[in-house]
Amino acid sequence: MVREYQGLVYTVCYQLVQDADTAQDLAQEAFLAAWRAADRCPAGCEKQWLARIAANKAKDHLRSGWARKMSTPGDEVLALAGAPPDQGPEARALADLGQEALRQKILSLREPYKTPCRLCLLEGYTPAEAARLCRRPEKTLNAQLWRAKKMLRAEIEQEREQERRTGDGTV
Amino acid sequence: MELFREDGCLTDEGLQALIDGQLDELGRLEAAEHLSYCTKCLDRYTALLTGDKLETPPRDLSRPLGRALWVHLMANFYGRAAVAAVAAVLALTIWRSGSLELILDRNASALEAYVPEQIAPPASDTVPESNYITPPRPGDKTGMAEKVQQAVGGFLSGFAAKTGNAGTTN
Repeated sequence: MVREYQGLVYTVCYQLVQDADTAQDLAQEAFLAAWRAADRCPAGCEKQWLARIAANKAKDHLRSGWARKMSTPGDEVLALAGAPPDQGPEARALADLGQEALRQKILSLREPYKTPCRLCLLEGYTPAEAARLCRRPEKTLNAQLWRAKKMLRAEIEQEREQERRTGDGTV
Repeated sequence: MELFREDGCLTDEGLQALIDGQLDELGRLEAAEHLSYCTKCLDRYTALLTGDKLETPPRDLSRPLGRALWVHLMANFYGRAAVAAVAAVLALTIWRSGSLELILDRNASALEAYVPEQIAPPASDTVPESNYITPPRPGDKTGMAEKVQQAVGGFLSGFAAKTGNAGTTN
């Protein structure tokens, strides 16, 4: 199995992380995970099953790298899984914004962020309910909500900064 | 370029960009997240990964994987049980072959050569060297009564020799 699918598993890891050494390590981890869960492999779907495990390994790697890069002190409460929607600097930034402006901002988000944000921030669904409606794992939906809030916060701060500059310029 | 369609699935051009290595880190993270749960997109993606689109790993994965699996096997319960069984068989073989006794005998003879020098008292006039009783070594099966008897006998013979010497000098 390793000899037959090592090219596929390595390719999936490499195309997602874009680093040969990391992809090699992730491919090895993916095969080990596959070996541990070999009894759960659907018969005849080995290729897709292994590709999914490889994508999962790459996702975990990219997610931790992205979280490390984007985390600022005090953001630990916004952990990926189960972060309460009404806490943290992102939530405060959104609360400061007017209802209509917030709605516009959320609806102008691109997928895969628009639907989870619309459901959780505008329509009052819990992340678990939204995950069911979007047919996504709850952990993935929480991660997307977390990133969407970061994006919205960055956008709002950028706009405020521009307003401040133009205000200073007119004075 | 749009990576996702309105229904939340990856676009064809998004998949192609992923294969061509044109996505940024966030785009790759979003694609990985989606591929980890969406069966339709995963099928579309793996269908595109054929022939020259497949990369070759810099090092063959089967060898390091074999080693990793072996370590994993050894680390779990059955592995430890297997190691314990091998150790028991090895110990039994050594014991039955007589090698153990040979080693013990060798150690005992080395001890015999070493111990008397260490525990013998310095030569003196009062106790003749020939009458000195070597203290029992650990492992000697001498009873307490025998030990006492030997000690008293040694003392008396030493005392007799002393008084005899004194009588002749006087």
